[in-house]
Amino acid sequence: MSTRNAMNRLGPLLTIGFALTLVACGGGSGSGDKMAADPSGSGTADGSAVLRVNGSTTVNPVVTKAAEILHAERGMNITVDTQGGSSGGIAALGEGRVEVAMSSRPVIGHDHTTYPKVDFRPVRIGADAVALAVNKDVWDGGVHALSRQQTQAIYEGKVDNWSAVGGPDEPIVFYDKEPGRGTWEVFAHWAYGNPDDAPLVSHLEIGSNEEGRTKVSSTPGAITQLSFAWTDRKTVFPLAVVTDEGQTVAPTPATVADGSYPISRQLLVITDGAPSPAAKELIDFLLSPRGQQVVRDAGYVPLAAEKGVAATGETAAAGTGAAAASAPAAGS
Amino acid sequence: VSAAPGGSVEAGGSIEVGTASPRAWLVGPRRRLGGARRDPLRWMSFASCALAAAFLAGLLGLLLVQSLPVWRHEGIAGYLLGGRWFYRADTFGVLPMIYGTAVVSAVALVLAVPLGVGAAVFASEVLPPRPRLALKTAVELLAGVPSVVYGLLGVLLLRPWIYRLLRPFDPLSGDTLLTGGVLLAVMVLPTVTTFSEDALRGVPAAQRRAARGLGLSRAATALRVVLPQALPGLVAAILLALGRALGETIAVFLVIGRRDNQLPEHWLSAEPLVRSTHAGQTLTTKLGGSETFLAWGDPLHWAAIAGLGLVLLALVGGVTMVGAVLVRRSGGKGGFHAARR
Repeated sequence: MSTRNAMNRLGPLLTIGFALTLVACGGGSGSGDKMAADPSGSGTADGSAVLRVNGSTTVNPVVTKAAEILHAERGMNITVDTQGGSSGGIAALGEGRVEVAMSSRPVIGHDHTTYPKVDFRPVRIGADAVALAVNKDVWDGGVHALSRQQTQAIYEGKVDNWSAVGGPDEPIVFYDKEPGRGTWEVFAHWAYGNPDDAPLVSHLEIGSNEEGRTKVSSTPGAITQLSFAWTDRKTVFPLAVVTDEGQTVAPTPATVADGSYPISRQLLVITDGAPSPAAKELIDFLLSPRGQQVVRDAGYVPLAAEKGVAATGETAAAGTGAAAASAPAAGS
Repeated sequence: VSAAPGGSVEAGGSIEVGTASPRAWLVGPRRRLGGARRDPLRWMSFASCALAAAFLAGLLGLLLVQSLPVWRHEGIAGYLLGGRWFYRADTFGVLPMIYGTAVVSAVALVLAVPLGVGAAVFASEVLPPRPRLALKTAVELLAGVPSVVYGLLGVLLLRPWIYRLLRPFDPLSGDTLLTGGVLLAVMVLPTVTTFSEDALRGVPAAQRRAARGLGLSRAATALRVVLPQALPGLVAAILLALGRALGETIAVFLVIGRRDNQLPEHWLSAEPLVRSTHAGQTLTTKLGGSETFLAWGDPLHWAAIAGLGLVLLALVGGVTMVGAVLVRRSGGKGGFHAARR
């Protein structure tokens, strides 16, 4: 009995020692390529290859979720990284370190001059759009659109009454999206070109989309930056934007998808030339109805209006005209 | 601590191990710990106690070390008394948040203390035992309601109500320091009530009988005899409630407006209470916001956030300690368990 007791007591110690040895060995031998399963890294759809993806943190949740699904269902191995954001992803693709780049900005001339031999092929998988959402009384009071200059004046507190922008005589209550939110970044990009150039102002702050919708809908004269999918046109109303060229563009799935609505950015995945089979499988999944549902679940605008993918309630209800005709579903 | 082989044989030889063998040597030390001088209860509870103390010391040390860069950057006075917080401009001043915390807590106490003490006097001096117990249970259940529930009620009911109430003052919205204070008052009411009641019950019944025997009315007995004697306990109850008010986060977070850099033009101005242009931020709502996540990776910004934690810990710790000392002095009936989530 006692012998066994002693062994029982020693057991855990032995196990720990053994595990430590294993860790030490693993650390030594694995110091090279972590993804040693397929050194070539070239994507083939046989399930064992590793498809490497890098880029934008905005696109990341969508692709990561897709990678999880594809791993679970088809055994694909996809590594998703966000080093350097969009530009980092495009650079990694240009240098051949990844097969797919994620980007929330388009490929620009600079990329082509830096990587002249690379044939960048962006594929749009959705869009991230931000509406200027107002309380019902502002909308009913006649404010249906704002220009960038007007928005800046409101944001900086130079205009504090709706009557200055064609609305009712009512103070403007600006609920600012808290810092670090993608919604705020998109807004600042549009209003000031660069989030770093946005003025240092202190507004009432809100966090989640739920909070934004609740507070704007319950506060007369309120306006906030709200993720497009949350403007239901019943409690909160998305204003149209008067572009610098003088056009008035309302946020609808169609204008967001084709990029004409300015407070938005495209979510892109980019390949070098024709995608490898594995990359193609990933992209095809992202464009499929299920992939588009992942886009929607991440809070972005799917390609519904463009690709004819069935729109769910929120997105459809937020649209106007033809786009809104598709029946609202209870889905999301 | 190693035992001499002879001793272990002696200790191990009592029940199952009959001979001096290596096995007995293995078993020995454990047997000796079972002796009266090394009572396991004693050293285990000592270890727990030391661990708890080490946690507190570690927490303080960690926050202090992590916040060092901001103390260097702003200076101690600059950080504590600075009125501007713009992380994008590397400017960190905590005063508006200390101010917000103070105003919200003050409103909460002004509303909750008369109500809570009043309820406690009623429960302790008027109610017969059975309903008193029922009331006490109900109040303590109230203390157990998760604060996010209070927050939701605040958003749904209190914000619109405050907005209508303040209509004459032309408020912008229902997000004001007043809203946060009223919500906190509801939340700390159980703490005030239950600890006050404990303090009042702690006054010996003989005192009441003597007072009544001298012909004092029930009211006079309660006000002139019982309340003064229970005073340290009542103060402790209030301080414990204050401790909870200072530390409360999520419920206040939802109704206070979270507007940075708001200081009144005059220190005693009531304007911040009623205008949401003067809505504010408390130490906790700042910590509960998105900046905590943003700050990670930027040593100075992170230090500023850690500094908020340190200031808050010092405030709550100080108030709680004073409260605990007073509870002990007043007899300490009901123990010291701050009613927290």
